[in-house]
Amino acid sequence: MLVFAISDKGGTGRSVTGTNIVYRHALQGNDVCYLDFDFGSPTAGAIFSVSAVARGAPENGLHEYLRGDCTQPRRVDVWAESDREALRTRPPGAGRLVLLPGTESGGELSAFTDEVVNRCAQLFGRLEEEFDLCMVDVSAGRSFTAELVLAATARLPAIPFRWLVFHRWTRQHIIAADGLVTGADGLLDVGARLGHDREDLHDRIRFVRTAVLEPDAAELVGLRDEQRAWLSACDGELRELARRHGVGRTAMLGKVPLDPVLQWREQLITDEDVLASKIANAETAAAFDELAKKIVDDSAWEGL
Amino acid sequence: MLAMGEVHTGLLQNSGEISESTCRQVLGLMAGETVRVSRRPIPHALSPERLTGVDCALPSASRSRIRGVGTVVSRCAVTGGRVAQGSSYVRVVRSEADRRLPWSHYLSRPGVVEVLGKAKAADLAEGFVGDPAPGCLDMGAISGRFLDLVQASPLLDRRAPFRIPRTSLRWVAETGEPSIRFTLHTEQERTLRLTHPGPFTPAVVDLCEDLATHDWLLTSLLIIVERARIGATPGAQAVARLAPAIDHLLHLWMPAARVEEWLRPFWESLERQPGFTRQWRSLVDRVRDQIATSTLALLSAATEAGRR
Repeated sequence: MLVFAISDKGGTGRSVTGTNIVYRHALQGNDVCYLDFDFGSPTAGAIFSVSAVARGAPENGLHEYLRGDCTQPRRVDVWAESDREALRTRPPGAGRLVLLPGTESGGELSAFTDEVVNRCAQLFGRLEEEFDLCMVDVSAGRSFTAELVLAATARLPAIPFRWLVFHRWTRQHIIAADGLVTGADGLLDVGARLGHDREDLHDRIRFVRTAVLEPDAAELVGLRDEQRAWLSACDGELRELARRHGVGRTAMLGKVPLDPVLQWREQLITDEDVLASKIANAETAAAFDELAKKIVDDSAWEGL
Repeated sequence: MLAMGEVHTGLLQNSGEISESTCRQVLGLMAGETVRVSRRPIPHALSPERLTGVDCALPSASRSRIRGVGTVVSRCAVTGGRVAQGSSYVRVVRSEADRRLPWSHYLSRPGVVEVLGKAKAADLAEGFVGDPAPGCLDMGAISGRFLDLVQASPLLDRRAPFRIPRTSLRWVAETGEPSIRFTLHTEQERTLRLTHPGPFTPAVVDLCEDLATHDWLLTSLLIIVERARIGATPGAQAVARLAPAIDHLLHLWMPAARVEEWLRPFWESLERQPGFTRQWRSLVDRVRDQIATSTLALLSAATEAGRR
């Protein structure tokens, strides 16, 4: 299964949510890999705490592979190479957790040729043989990278794939997330142009809300009644807006609550962070865990 | 001087095993050329051979610049309708000329790479099974591409019963006093140094491919058994995780089935040390014992329920 993670705008928490989902999926006993296709800023290495590739791989990164400068992109075994104590031993029952970093200072794709699409399709095909889940972090917004992976998946009709669109729970983000999917030159437009079936592609897209502050959240206990009433009204309006834009509950795969840890540092939330040091909220870890299950649960992906 | 090659082995990306006729179509890489099929003791299909022209540096342990020109032979195989392989090899010889000749010269010698200038066989051999420098002749890339060709066939449904890595076997064969050394490197990389009596023949490639198939089977079964976490998970769960091995792998073990008589002693020596079949049998027994104990537990639970 290939999963493409995209967001309407930068700063939505796409990478940090994507990596955490992959991490939870590995803990659930699956072999997973994470491909950093965010070529402009390949920082997935930092989230996995692998300092050697914190800003991308110095050589043999995904950029070089796609350009044809190396035959195999570098693979990082997170369980072996992470600097974080809590990540450095593979927990019993966990699957493989592999990162394919981008190239350090590789730069955004400015265009791509047929050969690049072929290499991309070849890479997806090989990884899919080996891993239960391959998550591809496509950068924010409309980009050549998104177009490239749409072109590559159009050449792999038998390989299942899904898209996750990450957005924050605000007016602008809801409108932008819808625009990214259904707008002019959005995913559906570009996908249809490259040979995907529009309806079929639409069924493979779900939304994930990030940094969500629920009106009844514990953080809001100290608020005045007027503030709480205002928040609740806002939330209602946003729900109505989301429904109108096709970003409502039915198209949503899950939501991740606002967590102070993730606001301060992009990192994996381990059980230790929740139970031992208690810096992260249990709800956050539970949300990632839930998303990691839903991503492969067909009932969550039935046609809309 | 010597022969060297690389074999990539993986699980055929199909839900079940494929029939002989499908094999023929999947491996029919070239119109007009036939796919060779043998049925006993295990179905095995071999594609026609294709050539890749090369003019590049050859790997060398001393990192000296050695230029080779010629063609690499590649082919694909499917064993038991289930295990797919991409395999490439070359025979390295000294060139009689000191410059590159017209391509017709090299095309009339398929699978031969001629070395321009000086080179020592030992240096090349060490360089190839060691850590080849980037930019050198990369037969792994060629074999990988051929395996991709098979896996991307529209006749396959791509719904493989389990996910499993490919393995690669890099081998070097020389003429001399018989010896064999099989080495495991990372989880997916293996090397083989072989010294055989008499001149090189393609039968040596068959031996290497046969070894690669069995090493992949063993590696994959080990992974599946590890994933089952016998003892740490409830019996029924462990058995469910072992099931794909029973359905798709256990019947494929057929060592030296396609190895010529004069090369059999090499397999036999590997059977003594490290003992491929010994390890395979012990794993198979472990799998079957799990099934047996789980069946017993189910039976006694059923009897218990019947009494109540």
